Amino acid sequence: MKYAKLLKCIRKIPGKLRNFNIFSAYGKIGFVFVLLMVLTGIISVLFMGEAHKIPSGASLEAPGLIHPLGTDDLGIDILAQILHGAFVSIQVGFFSAMLAGIGGSTLGILAGYCGGWTDKLIMGICDVMMVIPQLPLMIVLGAFFGPSLRNIILVIVILSWSRPARIARARVLSMRQEGYIIAAKSYGAGFRHLAVKHFIPGILPIILVSIIRLISKAIRAEAGLTFLGLGDPTSKSWGVILNRSINFSGIYYTDYWKWWVMSPLTVLILLVLSISFIARDMELLFHNKGDKL
Amino acid sequence: MKSETKGTAVTIGKNVAVIFLLLLSMILGLVGCTNRPSESGEIISGDAAGNENATAEEPVIIRLAGEDVGLPNPFRHTAGGAGVSKATLLYDTLLEKDENQDIPWLAKRWEMNEDGTSFTFFLHENALWHDGEPLTAEDVVFTFNYYKEHPPVSNSLTDGKKYIVTDTKAIDDHTVEITLNSYNNTYLSKIGSVLILPKHIWENVDDPTTFDGNGATVGSGPYKMEIYNPEQGAYRFVAFEQYYGLQPAVAAIEWVPVSDEVLAFDNEEIDLVMPTADLVSRYKESDEYIVEEVPAYRNSYRLMMNMETVPELCAVDLRKAIAYAVNRQEIIEKIGRGVGLISSMGYVPSSSPWYNSDIEQYDYNPEKAKALLEGRTYSFTLLTDNSAKSTKMAELIKISLDEVGIDVTVESVESKARDNALKTGTYELLLTHAGGMGGDPDYLRGIYGEKSTTIKGWSNERVNELAKAQAIERDETNRKEMLFELQKIIADEVPMVMLYSTVTYFVYRPEKYDGWMMIRYDHNQRCDFYKLSYVVRN
Repeated sequence: MKYAKLLKCIRKIPGKLRNFNIFSAYGKIGFVFVLLMVLTGIISVLFMGEAHKIPSGASLEAPGLIHPLGTDDLGIDILAQILHGAFVSIQVGFFSAMLAGIGGSTLGILAGYCGGWTDKLIMGICDVMMVIPQLPLMIVLGAFFGPSLRNIILVIVILSWSRPARIARARVLSMRQEGYIIAAKSYGAGFRHLAVKHFIPGILPIILVSIIRLISKAIRAEAGLTFLGLGDPTSKSWGVILNRSINFSGIYYTDYWKWWVMSPLTVLILLVLSISFIARDMELLFHNKGDKL
Repeated sequence: MKSETKGTAVTIGKNVAVIFLLLLSMILGLVGCTNRPSESGEIISGDAAGNENATAEEPVIIRLAGEDVGLPNPFRHTAGGAGVSKATLLYDTLLEKDENQDIPWLAKRWEMNEDGTSFTFFLHENALWHDGEPLTAEDVVFTFNYYKEHPPVSNSLTDGKKYIVTDTKAIDDHTVEITLNSYNNTYLSKIGSVLILPKHIWENVDDPTTFDGNGATVGSGPYKMEIYNPEQGAYRFVAFEQYYGLQPAVAAIEWVPVSDEVLAFDNEEIDLVMPTADLVSRYKESDEYIVEEVPAYRNSYRLMMNMETVPELCAVDLRKAIAYAVNRQEIIEKIGRGVGLISSMGYVPSSSPWYNSDIEQYDYNPEKAKALLEGRTYSFTLLTDNSAKSTKMAELIKISLDEVGIDVTVESVESKARDNALKTGTYELLLTHAGGMGGDPDYLRGIYGEKSTTIKGWSNERVNELAKAQAIERDETNRKEMLFELQKIIADEVPMVMLYSTVTYFVYRPEKYDGWMMIRYDHNQRCDFYKLSYVVRN
């Protein structure tokens, strides 16, 4: 029964979301689009097999019935690549945001609760991570670890845990002063008890918002890194498609950019925008009602 | 009160209009700047003349896309065509190459002794260095001795590790005798392509690779250097008026920095462009341009197989299977955008008079590849550089090899890392693009022969023997037979899979300049690299 409150709290979140009307119009559009992307990503992996890898038409066919978004220079269907890319993007977004969010907030709670040198150490690293210019470091790390999906997730996590850590620490610091924590402590509650019963339920809403933000950041970072050629060159993420198309020499003097550059760019922008809308709505929601959660 | 508000509204409206107009004019001004070719040219040259279309009186200045290829003297230019070609405009050679053969250049004529180991060159009497000193036989003697101690970047004077010139002596002021260590069919071309140095400048230089003092670019060529700006990759060469030979065709040649060559060409900032196949149709329709299509026989993409570290590749059937499984026509269609030539598996390109057409052609045949593999499957890593073209080609190769049961993992690295792997042999399969296929087929000896370092872990007795024999065979028919047999063995053995050679398009405005020489007999690749493109030919 120790985890009852935590479970209750987690159970409450979908309950809140069950009422779709709490989202604004933008939020709803965003939500639908993200859902669509997740679904298409899953469909592509389950049913479309190797379509994103194997040429199925002539080079650079214009959009038509068989290839709704045309083909690239190798004759591979662009729609299939984009659907597969959606899966890659969402995978990267989800895993890196989760890892960074959970890892960061754990460190934040530790720092806030323990204080002293633990706090100084963690916050020191945090400050360093925040001060370092992220893009150059990301490029260096990406080049250092070598091109693969796992490494890209790793690089993004290394660069994004500091924000949730700071948020969690700040929240824990203020919670420590609350009467019920002091009371629980005086009854002999240990760190584990406090964390599970009080801290985590308390910071969950704000961390959730921050995780959603991280998803959108991670998707952008992944596209950016692969665009710069630091991803697996044969994978079909959106960044790779963009990199290929933009490096096609003289593409703007031809018609090819209309489908080859625009399609990955459009879905990338739409997905990042949708996630931002959701994050904004969630923030408003939890900001107003977070205390009661 | 009412009229006052109206008055304010009008003023605000006026202000907005003024600001809008100002912004508009600024934007238009910016656009105007990029469209005016003369301005970008002026920054580098400081010379306003020659931007407009040439008339009879106005001196012509050719502008080309620039990049930094080092100080253009024999020791400081970068390796590769762009660097070598700049040095050859400044420095003369004994012979020059035209469409068909070696032609007299600094040497008016030459004689060979009976066994072909000694050549006598008769130099032009009125040749001058750019600083006004006369060029004599002493300079030529000095050059050949100096290169022995200080090899130039583009060194044609060593074979294996031996210096091919044993003795050089000046018979009189304008006659030189050069003695070689042995006879070889390519040696005359080799000594003929050596850049001659001025003795009075270099005799005091101990370390030519660091020398950039006075006279570091003084040669005897048709052009002399006026400006070199390494940061911008900009050069300006001007015609050398006292030149003894074929006269410089233009007043100056400028290499200017450009970001997008097609855009720069359209804006008349440069005078020659090499567009991709997709863009050529834009120029073909207009009379203003001439479009030339030049097959780059001289180089080819290759798939290297390391037989030293991967013992499986020693089996000739596997190598043949790879050669049959790779769809080279598809690579040309998709990577070359429909233009390119399938390379001969016997290495010597089909345009060469030495090409043997009666060898295995390895047309795309996955069934045959599967039959050769007899159901065995393999797994290799294919190393490539990270350029878009190479990674895409690697992807196509992966797809075709997967089909016959050879699983390929593509790994892309910096091109320098790839080159290093090629050199040290730390790869399994490797995709590379290399030249050296023009001119005399003696190159087969360097690549497949005994001392070869190109192909790892492969050697063939008969190939070594033939490669050695053809180099010293003076009878052309016999030599041809040897070379034909060589190509046949090489094609049957497939030590590396030859993929395809590219086709280059050149577009220029004939009204501005049309002296470009498109093909040189050793099948070099680019008309802007040939000296004869810049002189008046009879």
